[in-house]
Amino acid sequence: MARPQTLTVGMPRALLYHRYAVLWQTYFDALGIATVVSEETNREIAEGGIAAATDEMCLSLKVYLGHVAALIGKCDRIFIPRIVDFGIRRVMCTTFEGLPDIAANIFRDRHIDILSCNISVQGGIDEKAGMVQMGRELGYSKKEAKRAYKRALVAQRAADEAAAAAAEHLYQSRGLKIAVGAHAYVMDDDYYGRPVLDYLSEMGVTAIPAYAVDRREARKVTKRLSPTMKWEVSREIAGSLAMHLDDVDGIILMSVYPCALDSMVNDMLVRKFRDSGVPMMHLTMDAQSGTAGLETRLESFIDILSMRRTGKAVKA
Amino acid sequence: MKRDKQVKRKIAFPMIAHYNDAVRYFIERGLGQTYIMQPAMTRRTMALGEKLSPDMVCTPFKTILGSMIEALEAGAEVLIMTMGYCRLGYYGELAESILREQGYDFDYVNFAEYTTGHPKDYLKAVKAICPHVRPAKAMKALREALDMVKMIDDIECQYYMNCGFETEPGSFKAALTRFYRDMRTAKTRKDIEAGYENCRQAFEKLPIAKDQNALKVGLIGEYFTVMDAFSNLDLEQALADMGVEVHRWMNVSHRNLDYPGEKNLHVRIKAYCRYEMGPTSTANIWKAKKYAEDGFDGIIHVKSAGCTPEIEIMPVIRNISEDYKIPVLFLTYDTQTATAGLMTRLEAFYDMIAMRKKVIQ
Repeated sequence: MARPQTLTVGMPRALLYHRYAVLWQTYFDALGIATVVSEETNREIAEGGIAAATDEMCLSLKVYLGHVAALIGKCDRIFIPRIVDFGIRRVMCTTFEGLPDIAANIFRDRHIDILSCNISVQGGIDEKAGMVQMGRELGYSKKEAKRAYKRALVAQRAADEAAAAAAEHLYQSRGLKIAVGAHAYVMDDDYYGRPVLDYLSEMGVTAIPAYAVDRREARKVTKRLSPTMKWEVSREIAGSLAMHLDDVDGIILMSVYPCALDSMVNDMLVRKFRDSGVPMMHLTMDAQSGTAGLETRLESFIDILSMRRTGKAVKA
Repeated sequence: MKRDKQVKRKIAFPMIAHYNDAVRYFIERGLGQTYIMQPAMTRRTMALGEKLSPDMVCTPFKTILGSMIEALEAGAEVLIMTMGYCRLGYYGELAESILREQGYDFDYVNFAEYTTGHPKDYLKAVKAICPHVRPAKAMKALREALDMVKMIDDIECQYYMNCGFETEPGSFKAALTRFYRDMRTAKTRKDIEAGYENCRQAFEKLPIAKDQNALKVGLIGEYFTVMDAFSNLDLEQALADMGVEVHRWMNVSHRNLDYPGEKNLHVRIKAYCRYEMGPTSTANIWKAKKYAEDGFDGIIHVKSAGCTPEIEIMPVIRNISEDYKIPVLFLTYDTQTATAGLMTRLEAFYDMIAMRKKVIQ
C-alpha cells in the first residue's frame, strides 16, 4: 500500500490539544505515524502568533497560530482538525469550525500542508467517522483506522476519568479551595494560564480546574441551570462549577480577550450563582497582560476568601 | 359554534432593519394579536442596552436588549426572540434574565428554547404565542409576510444602487419613505403588492445621472450590523451620498429565504477554504470573490466588535483582496463608534478607489 512511511505530523500545543492530547497522540501512535508537538507556549511563540493573527482574534487563537508557525519546517504536515459540534446544543466555538481554513489563509505564502479531520455530528460525521476518514486519507485501511481510533478513545476516556477523579479528590482537601472556570487551553497554557495557577499554589491555595469533571453529568446540570446554553465546553464548565459550589471557597473565571463564549456565559454564571454567596472573580488575559497586576488582584481575592473563612469559623 | 373571545395580546419583537413591519403583519393578520412597534432605534436604545449588557458581548446584543426595553415601555406584554447559529442563539436567555432582574414583567417566547432539530419545532413556539392559532390563516399570513420581506429587500437593493445619482434631491428617499409607510399599514396581500409596485415604478421613472464610470462598492459582513442602518450608522446612505453605487447581497431574502445552500456556494470558494467557516462565512467569502470578479471598485466588510465568525474570515478576505487587486475596508462597530470617525475613513476610502479608477483607466 502506498503509505508515506516517513510522514511526521506536527501538533500545535494549543487550543484543543489541551483537551484531546491523549486521543490524538494515541491515534497517531497506533497508526505508526511519527509526531512532533510544538513546545510549551513561550514569549517567542506568543509574539509570533500575535504578529501573524488578525488584531481582533482572541488571544488563544493568536497563540495557536504561533504554535503553527513554530512547527513550520519541523514536520511534513500540521494536524489542524475542524470540530463543529457533537449534536444539538453541543456546539464548539466557531473558531474550531474555521481553524484549518484560518491557518491556511494566514500562512498561505508559507505553503503549509494541513492535515485535517472534520467532525460535525449535526453534519453527519461524528468523531469516530471523522478520524477514521482521516486515517483512510493517510493511506490506512478502514480497519486499521478504526482500531487506532478505538485505542485512542479508550486512552482519552481513561485520562479524562482520572482527571475528574483527581479533581474530586481536591474538592475534599482542607485549606482554601478555588474552582477555576476556564477553558483547558487558557488554564493549561504555559505562558498565560500557568503563572496564575503557580501563584495560587505559592499562596497555599488549592486551585481546581472546573473542566475536570464527569462531563455528562455536568452537561445535565447545565441544562437545568441554563437551558439554551449551547456550547459543549461552556456547559461542562458551568455544570462543574454548579456541582461544586458548596465545596469551594471561591471561583475564578479566567478568560482570554475577547472570548465570545465567556462574554455571555460568565455573565450568566454570575447571575445564577449570586444567591450562593460564593465570591467570584473575573480574570481576563490579553496580549499585554503582565503578572504584577494579576498578582495584586489574586492576593486581595485570596485575602477576602481567608477572611470569610475565619469569619465563618468564629460564627460557628 | 361558540368561539371564546380572546383578549388580544400585545406582542413585540426586537428591532432589526425594516423587517419588523413583516413581523407585525404576521402577528396581526396571521395570529390576530396586537403588535407593538417600538420607536426607531436611537442613541438612547444603545445606551439602555449597553448599561445592562456584559461588557464584551457583541454589539447587536446591546441594541437588541435596548430595543426590547423600548418595546416594553411602549406597552408590549409578550416578547419574541429568535434563535441563531452563533452567539445569537444565547441572546434570548441572557436578555430575559437581565430584563427580569430589572423588574420587567412580560411573557417570553424564545425560539432558541424550541430547537430540537425537528422541522415542526417552531410551530410549538407559535402556539406558545397564540394557543388558538388557526394554521391555515397563519400560514397564509406567514407567506405574505415573507413576500413582504422579499419586497423590502428588493426595494432597498434598488434604492442604494441608484439614489446616489438622483437629479432631483430627495426624490428617491421620498419614494422609499412612502414604501415603508405602505408596508407599515398593509392589511392584505393587495396592499403589500400595491405598495411595492408603486415604489418600483416610482424608482423607474425618477431621473438619474449615472455613467458607466460610476464607482461600485460591495458590502459584506455580519448579518445584523450590515443590514441594520442604525447599527452601521447609515453606511449605505453615506456611500450613496458620495455618488457610489452600493450593493449589498446580505439580507433575509438572500441569506434565509432563497439561500442557494452552503454546498452550492462552497464550490465557488474552494480555492480559499476547504470547509464552511461559520454561519455567514461561506456567503460572505463567495460574495467578496464575486464582487471582485465583477469588477467592483471596492469592498467594505462590516461587523460588530467581537463578532468571531467575521473576524475569522478576515484573512480570507485579505487574500481575495490581494489576488484580485481589489481594495477592502474593514469596519468594526461598537457602542462608541460615531459618525465623524466613520466619515473620515469612508472619505479616505472613497478618494482612494476614485483615484485608483482614474489611474487604471
